[in-house]
Amino acid sequence: MKRRLGQSLAIAGGLLGLAVVVLLPFWFIATGAIKAPQEIIARVPTLLPQSFTLRHFDKLLGASDYPRYLGNSLVVGLGSTAITVVLSVLAAYGFYRLRFPGRDLLFRAVLVAYAFPGILILIPLYGMMSQAGLIDTPAALVIVNVTFASPFAIWMMRSFFASIPAELEEAALIDGASRLAILLRIMVPLAAPGIASVAIFAFIASWTEYLFASVLILSDANRTLPVGFAGIIGQYQIDWGLMLAGATLATVPVVLLFGIVGRWFIAGLTAGAVK
Amino acid sequence: MSAGPRRLSRARSEAIAGMLMVAPVLVWLAATILYPLGTSVAISLRDIRIIGSDGGFVGLGNYADVLEMARLWAALGRSLVWVTGNAVLQTLLALGTALLLNQRFRGVRLVRVWVILSWIVPTIVVVIIWRWLLGTSGGVVNYLLVSLGLTDRPVGFFAGQGSAMASLVVINSWRWFPFVAVMLLAGLQRIPADLYEAAAIDGAGPWQRFRRITWPLLQPTMLVLGVVGTLLSFNVFDIIWLTTAGGPSGATQTLPVLIYETAFKSYRLGQAAAMSVLVSLLLMALAVLLTRALAPKGQG
Repeated sequence: MKRRLGQSLAIAGGLLGLAVVVLLPFWFIATGAIKAPQEIIARVPTLLPQSFTLRHFDKLLGASDYPRYLGNSLVVGLGSTAITVVLSVLAAYGFYRLRFPGRDLLFRAVLVAYAFPGILILIPLYGMMSQAGLIDTPAALVIVNVTFASPFAIWMMRSFFASIPAELEEAALIDGASRLAILLRIMVPLAAPGIASVAIFAFIASWTEYLFASVLILSDANRTLPVGFAGIIGQYQIDWGLMLAGATLATVPVVLLFGIVGRWFIAGLTAGAVK
Repeated sequence: MSAGPRRLSRARSEAIAGMLMVAPVLVWLAATILYPLGTSVAISLRDIRIIGSDGGFVGLGNYADVLEMARLWAALGRSLVWVTGNAVLQTLLALGTALLLNQRFRGVRLVRVWVILSWIVPTIVVVIIWRWLLGTSGGVVNYLLVSLGLTDRPVGFFAGQGSAMASLVVINSWRWFPFVAVMLLAGLQRIPADLYEAAAIDGAGPWQRFRRITWPLLQPTMLVLGVVGTLLSFNVFDIIWLTTAGGPSGATQTLPVLIYETAFKSYRLGQAAAMSVLVSLLLMALAVLLTRALAPKGQG
């Protein structure tokens, strides 16, 4: 089908607008991070850096607790991801492929949990964590992150499990395989892209979590990146170079991760439609 | 004769396997959401001030105090403004983006993946980006406004009461609209292509095709997104807290910010718990809508 010139122009214009809105801000922080301080706050902002310095990164990695926050966030993120993947793959198989009494009702209950406002249980959770001796530990954050990531993760697995033919399961059942064996040997390999997208969702959710990390973690040594980094921001004299370098570095891990499995993640969000 | 009992036992083993598989996540959610929610009610009946301390039983005293607070009603109003502003702006941006991403052009797959960039970075990064871009020294937005002659001097976006709220709505929408766009794109792709072809043969123009096919068939997706999005944006705390901390003079203090301040800045834990319970009740109506819209359709 031949496309009219007007339509092509509209698409090009739309893409340009989208790039300006989504990408340009990131361009400004990434390039700002290597500008000299006086250029960062210059009255006339520069699109291309006129100066080059690594001093902001030096200061961030050498003279601040940023590397420690980064490490803590990685630990919490990996822990949250591992548990979320196991719980949600199991549950998604149960919800989407097996029949049992009360299934629909329980499924709805899980979905309600997705949009549940964290702030409403922050206070009692603090009490529970302190009784369990988990205040100021990464475990506390892992527990909370799994709670808020798994409902959406289960929902994301839906289309991946739905697309696997029932005959495969039938054949394995006749051969005497257990449901768990079927899940592990047949469903998991076939739904690998779905598992990848669930994993990336869980990691991102944990990587960006601020509210619980700001309350359940007390000591500076255990802070995760969002909270620790927010603490570095001074209210009055803001060191923008440091901020922009930190923002750039905090973006890198998720961008790398997304570069590898991002397309499965988007497939996970849209898969029901693509079939 | 022999098929009967076997089928029965198979259905039974399937049911047992199913329950065992969903049990871990259900127990986890019950322990971390349901149980604390119950505890919230217990806390709301006591005069607890600082977290971890104990306080006397005051019955519904906290509820009476909270409901008399002008701040609570003001925060409720701000939450409504916040949710509405975000819904309108995000829907417009996301719908435009989804329609664009639904076209065919070179590199469309790449764009569909990376459009979501602002959604995957930590909130603190979003906050730094916008505090800098909207800032009065070195801020690109102010530079553009001044050089285009729209204002004489840089605007303090976070200093004015109205502009602080508006700026936050823009920032939060910037963060969320790509996610909404990807979900809308899924809805768009569910619309059969032959409908458009038939309409084109009948001589329908682009606007008519959008009005008569795309828009009505997108409604189920929009409804679900609308309900979920409303709840999710109601919950937003970190962007507001890290950008304005509820200021200037409370202008951006939505309900989550008020609850957080009451509990962890004013040390009125009992009152904060009472607010939480009231807000939970308020959101329950929306949750019912959400579950109806998202119920599973048949088996797998």
